Amino acid sequence: MFRQLRTALRTGIATEPVAAAGEIERVGARLASEVARLFGRSLAIRQVDAGSCNGCELEITGLTGPHYDLERFGLRFVASPRHADCLLVTGPVTRNMAEALRRTWQATPDPKFVVAVGDCGRDGGLFRGSYAVVGGVADVVPVDAVIPGCPPSPAALLAGLLEAIGRPRR
Amino acid sequence: MNRLVYGVIAAMGIVAAGLGGYGMAGGAGTLRLAWLVPLGGLELTLDPLGGLFLGLIGLAAAPASVYGMGDPDGGGRGRLAYAVFVASMCLVPLAANTMTFLIAWELMSLASYALVLHDRESEESVRAGWIYAVMTHAGLACLLAGMLLLGAEVGSQRFADWRAAAPALAPATRDLAFVLLALGFAGKAGVIPLHVWLPLAHPAAPSHVSALMSGVMIKLGIYGLLRVSLDWLGVGPPWWGATLLVAGAVSSVIGVLYALVEHDLKRLLAFHSIENIGIILLGIGSAALYRVAGLDALARLGLIAALYHTVNHAAFKALLFLGAGAVVHATGTRNMEAMGGLIKRMPWTAGCFLVGSAAIAALPPLNGFVSEWLTFLALFQNTRLDAVGQNLVFTLGIASLALTGGLAMACFVKAFGITFLALPRSDAAAGAHEASPPMRLAMLTLAAACVALGLGPTLVVPVFGSVAAAILKTPPSATGGDWLTLRVAGEFASLSTAAIAVALAASLLVPFAAFWILGAARRTRAYETWGCGRIVQTARMEYTATAFANPFKRVFDFFYRPSKRLDIEFHPESRFFVERIEYENPTRSIFDDWLYRPALELLQAAARAVGALQSGSANQYLAYILVALLLMLVLA
Ligand code: SF4
Repeated sequence: MFRQLRTALRTGIATEPVAAAGEIERVGARLASEVARLFGRSLAIRQVDAGSCNGCELEITGLTGPHYDLERFGLRFVASPRHADCLLVTGPVTRNMAEALRRTWQATPDPKFVVAVGDCGRDGGLFRGSYAVVGGVADVVPVDAVIPGCPPSPAALLAGLLEAIGRPRR
Repeated sequence: MNRLVYGVIAAMGIVAAGLGGYGMAGGAGTLRLAWLVPLGGLELTLDPLGGLFLGLIGLAAAPASVYGMGDPDGGGRGRLAYAVFVASMCLVPLAANTMTFLIAWELMSLASYALVLHDRESEESVRAGWIYAVMTHAGLACLLAGMLLLGAEVGSQRFADWRAAAPALAPATRDLAFVLLALGFAGKAGVIPLHVWLPLAHPAAPSHVSALMSGVMIKLGIYGLLRVSLDWLGVGPPWWGATLLVAGAVSSVIGVLYALVEHDLKRLLAFHSIENIGIILLGIGSAALYRVAGLDALARLGLIAALYHTVNHAAFKALLFLGAGAVVHATGTRNMEAMGGLIKRMPWTAGCFLVGSAAIAALPPLNGFVSEWLTFLALFQNTRLDAVGQNLVFTLGIASLALTGGLAMACFVKAFGITFLALPRSDAAAGAHEASPPMRLAMLTLAAACVALGLGPTLVVPVFGSVAAAILKTPPSATGGDWLTLRVAGEFASLSTAAIAVALAASLLVPFAAFWILGAARRTRAYETWGCGRIVQTARMEYTATAFANPFKRVFDFFYRPSKRLDIEFHPESRFFVERIEYENPTRSIFDDWLYRPALELLQAAARAVGALQSGSANQYLAYILVALLLMLVLA
């Protein structure tokens, strides 16, 4: 305990100043109003890694940092599919993860929607045809929207989510 | 035969409780049999404080004995010791002179020693019994010294005479008597650092005895501390109260810290007894300090909190020990890591244990909450004292009580969750069976007592108030209230546990009712419990007690000083394949390392030095005699 406190005091503030983010703010504002309209101010997202290289995760984690800070738009990552409205699935679906993804989808309460992230999530991307891969996310669970890119930038992720929300859902 | 003996003891408990109730209500009586015991004779007196403790012993002994009837592996052996144990405990709060008191006290210690040795074959029990015997007799030596000192100074061995003569005694004598007596009683109460025997002895005894040892025997230490700090010696200097307060703060935090990393279910409960003794001491210490300052209403409040917590702890700790006993009997182990899934197999035991856990974790509306709330109130009023040093001591008490509350909560989430929930972690746990009917009856009675003491503070607080007033010799307190709300004297706080209970129940039911009235769509889809998408689940994937306690071990590593031992055996052909991993993360006791071991080493060194005299040579002994003779001649 004392060691942690000492390290924190010694290190001091180690972050960089924030750059202006005009585009993010605009997309974010629209996203916020859509989320408020459709989901009563909060959209709970469960992120599922179905076999990604973690490049996509890195960008998604960026969203939660102080720069993009997606919570101010009403979006929130939750710890269980039981709490989620939306599944954000990354990576090609590997054979090992296919059943887990199916179960996650089952465990998410209706109504829900699924967003496939990255070129891998779209159709297997770089790993398409590999013996260890089943295919894209759509080959395992119904997908409502795709955010392409390898990996997609945080801005692209926000824009993709906005588009996904705008679509009619099952 | 078994049933008869335990039935008689249970009936005896109820009679004792009745007598205690009569004493609390103000009934007094004295029984003197001068011929029975030498040096002052047998003398028993009933007064409100003694009545309270007598009633407590009786009410705890009744369910424990009923439990003993149905306990197949604790019953047969040690019936006589058990009967002597209960009877001698009943005598302690009645004793009115030194001789009677010490005989009852020693009988209680010896009987419980015999019960700790219940399992004579196990080396652990023998060691526990040995340490218990040493510690309890060290305490007895302190008591004896203190009582003889007071007896010699006052010129009487009767407690009533001490009370009258105390204000006239020299301050140094009073201080010395206080230190000696407080040490003796604190040892029995398990106050840190005199606690080492407690976590060893309590688990070793059969469970209905553990329940009594933890529930009421250590309370007799509290009884003694109350007599010493508030009654026999009159109003003492402030450092008496401050010492008790600090001892309480230390005991509560350290007791719960040890409990957190303990995975032996009964030993975990024993450590919680240390914690709760600490909480009681916070109340007593604050009462003593307020009394010195002349704040009588606050002194009463502190004492009410302490007495209330004493009774509450007896109820929930006895309940928890009986529950633990049922679990240990069903699974054949005390190790929580081998339990799990018992809620399906022993629902009654699990339900009662849950009530006890919630009570000891001070969750409203149960009894632990009320008494800890009162303790907090008493501590927070320290701003009325005009002494910075004392205020700081109070602040320490407040902080430690808050920390203790949080940690106790975490500890009982662990104790209940690991023991009763999830999948069974061993075959024994998978084949466990529900406790026998008498055991269940005993647990249900105590669970009902926890609920009643939680919901009815307005009925019991005035009773404690009159006991507190009697011991402080002030007019009865105004703390009380109507049937619904408890109001603290001075109108600075009030509490209604009944209202809280109704609100809690409503908050569970109202959403369903609202959905129903609004006609919300209740389309449901049943799906298996979310298990992170796993296809198979086994007990080996479960959260363990060790894992649960590990964050605490890390945060408080300066206290636990854990050492890590990792032992990996690799496959002979590749280091990427592990054949066996052994991991151990034991903690070390500060008190063993820094207090008891050095003390023992010092004792052994001294013994060796003296041992040099004992050479075994007859010539040398003759020389000693000669020297002694010469010396005597010279001195004479
Ligand atoms: S899309 Fe690109 S970054 Fe994302 S998982 Fe696939 S390879 Fe990695």
